[in-house]
Amino acid sequence: MFKHLFKLIWNKKKQNFLLMTEMLFSFLVLFAVFTLLVYYYDNYKKPMGFEYQNVWVISYNNAYQTKSTDSLNTYYEILRQNIKAMPEVRDLSFCSFNTPFTNNMSQGRVTYHKKEFYHMNFYTADDSYPATMNMQILEGRWFNKTDIVAKDKPIVINSDTKEQLFGKGTAVGQLISNGDDKDKMMRVIGVVQSIKVKGDYAPAGLGLYQRSDTGSLRWFGKIMVQVTPGANAAFEGRLYKTLANYMKNSNVEIEHLTNKRTSINYFTLVPMIVLSIVGVFLAINVALGLFGVLWYNINQRRGEIGLRRAVGASGGAVSSQLIYESMILATLSLIVGSFFAVQFPLLNVFDLSAGIYISAMLLAILFIYTLVFLCSLYPGRQAAAIYPAVALHEE
Amino acid sequence: MLKNYFKIAIAVLRRRKFFTFISLFGISFTLTILLVLTSFLDKVVGDSYPDRKRDRSLYVTHLQEDGKDGQSSSTLSYYFLSHFVSSLKTPVKLGISSTYEGTNTYVNNKKIAVNYKYTNADYWDIMEYDFIEGKAFNKQQIDNADKVAVISEDMKRAYFGDIPSVAGKYIEADNVKYRVIGVVKNVPITSYNLYSDIYLPYTVAKTDFTKGKGYLGGFTAVMLAKSAADVPRMRNEYDAMMRRIPMESNRFNKMYSHAESYLRSYVNTGNENTSGVTIVLTIIVIFVLLVTVLPTLNLVNINITRIMERSSEIGVRKAFGASSGTLVYQFLIENIILTLLGGLIGLILAFVAIQVINSFHLIPNLVLSINFTVLGIGLLVCFFFGLLSGVYPAWRMSKLNVVTALKAQ
Repeated sequence: MFKHLFKLIWNKKKQNFLLMTEMLFSFLVLFAVFTLLVYYYDNYKKPMGFEYQNVWVISYNNAYQTKSTDSLNTYYEILRQNIKAMPEVRDLSFCSFNTPFTNNMSQGRVTYHKKEFYHMNFYTADDSYPATMNMQILEGRWFNKTDIVAKDKPIVINSDTKEQLFGKGTAVGQLISNGDDKDKMMRVIGVVQSIKVKGDYAPAGLGLYQRSDTGSLRWFGKIMVQVTPGANAAFEGRLYKTLANYMKNSNVEIEHLTNKRTSINYFTLVPMIVLSIVGVFLAINVALGLFGVLWYNINQRRGEIGLRRAVGASGGAVSSQLIYESMILATLSLIVGSFFAVQFPLLNVFDLSAGIYISAMLLAILFIYTLVFLCSLYPGRQAAAIYPAVALHEE
Repeated sequence: MLKNYFKIAIAVLRRRKFFTFISLFGISFTLTILLVLTSFLDKVVGDSYPDRKRDRSLYVTHLQEDGKDGQSSSTLSYYFLSHFVSSLKTPVKLGISSTYEGTNTYVNNKKIAVNYKYTNADYWDIMEYDFIEGKAFNKQQIDNADKVAVISEDMKRAYFGDIPSVAGKYIEADNVKYRVIGVVKNVPITSYNLYSDIYLPYTVAKTDFTKGKGYLGGFTAVMLAKSAADVPRMRNEYDAMMRRIPMESNRFNKMYSHAESYLRSYVNTGNENTSGVTIVLTIIVIFVLLVTVLPTLNLVNINITRIMERSSEIGVRKAFGASSGTLVYQFLIENIILTLLGGLIGLILAFVAIQVINSFHLIPNLVLSINFTVLGIGLLVCFFFGLLSGVYPAWRMSKLNVVTALKAQ
């Protein structure tokens, strides 16, 4: 039977060609939209890795210039005590400028067993960082005072890094080198749950944490503060005054992570919404087009259908023949489309995992089939309702 | 004749209402998307408030330093701009301003987020901000390091509330009190090199920018030439200067920085190897193709169906001596009428969409509108569509044999 249907399609290749091109294009468009949606959803499902609700970020610059490391430490220790003394403050941590939900990045390359890993995020933070952010420590431990004397620089890695570098094996105790430098070995002392620093829809990425040393305070520019849930603007005003009066030469800004999360998410959500609207519009367009063309084709073929009915085909057989025909047309264009789509995981374009492309492809295929099926359902039923006598009489 | 075709077209459109709907839907929706996109681009890069002298300005926004161990790229330092760039002969003015940065201020236990920006005096001579009250600070005030500020309309409302005049009042930001001497019309944040809530003299900054000797920092500059004809000379002089000045340190062996037109500086990626213009153009072209190719294909499909349905009409007209050319002409006219109709609907839809987008306040101070540029582009797109989706079906129709055409019915 399929051979016969192919022959029918082949006989009208000129007419079907346009229809097929349209299906092919809609498949490619849907593939692109679905890839993006699947990618975002995949990231969205993963845990955030920390609690941002009551965390504020304080930015400052150029606070205290001194050559003496001791007085630098004292200066910031007093500041820490001053902030900590406030009843609304639970914990705080001085850290590098690449705090969550900013566009700031500090990336480098690490080598493990001669394998290179690019785009490794380097975070620098002090001992109270995980407590401030409510981070989960999965293996080993976070930094403490004993790490000052360690021979190899102690680091904590995130779970994404662990998966990439060590797979299922243990990470604690392993040595990683910073770039190509053999002398700069770093020893993993703990693994933390990856945190999605670029918002809900972006991957956490590779990350490693280094303990802040005495010199770090010179270039640090951020303080993360976890406040009690009741902390209000009046308290924020007080905190601000305290900071601004203490760091006279500095520009101070307090931001809430909740707001920063909203705005960074917005940058992924808006393009996603725009693309989805465009995708839906194109799908409606294609559906209407398909519907119109199929409907017209059936009206054109009244004679042929009437003849089939006259020699004994049932209404169901006629309508399923038409549905089969359009499904075969869809299959042909999907095969061509899949050929293009499958290049993305094969050539590793855009560095996304193959699973995302494959699920997007399956979704797009399913979508096209459903669309074509629904669009040929009504014309098919109409064809089934053709009376052989009437149709043949017209001829 | 044209009137006749018009009548036929309307009659045809009314006969098969479903097909007419499909065609109109496709055209109008595509046009809506394109119009909203154009109006957005027109506003973001086409709107020249406050830098109305773009035709004789060049913008310096990035410096990239390459070395063996890597590269760094950033906006420039005050030292670099005031020391090297200001020595150029062609520019008559050099406006220097910092990138905007945030701080907070607290009024009556309410928090206001403030973006501030430091500028020099020339900046105010080049930029034509609309002053609602007061005026900009001058060179004298900058040299005295007077704590004066020019604020935006929004800032005035947020900080002082609805009062008629604020000139002379004090505004506190970053724990410092500044005297407000001017209020300017808002600049959308999308003009990120000119946007700010508070503009301050660079001499009142807590950091002394004039001290450091590094090349990278938080500043950008606008160079103004005497006339548009001087712009290429200004660009060449800048390039010559870049070749001349010494490396910042021996870690680097190459240095790139360009004086660019507004558009180029706007999309500058900060990376010498990947031009922002190429990236943006590619994205726009792909997007436009995406939204136009499918509806066009659809339209071609529908049009073929429509025209073939009328084969008896074609047959009769051919039999009475109409040439293929006349018929193609007629169908093209019909199609263009259809597209124009769709265009009109699209315009209305775009207008509604823009109102909705504006009401959401997605981007502060960005108010989209349909102007003549947008309208013209819409019209052009309509004609293009009409021709594109009409030519192929008309051509196929004209190939139709008289006998077959007549027999088909």
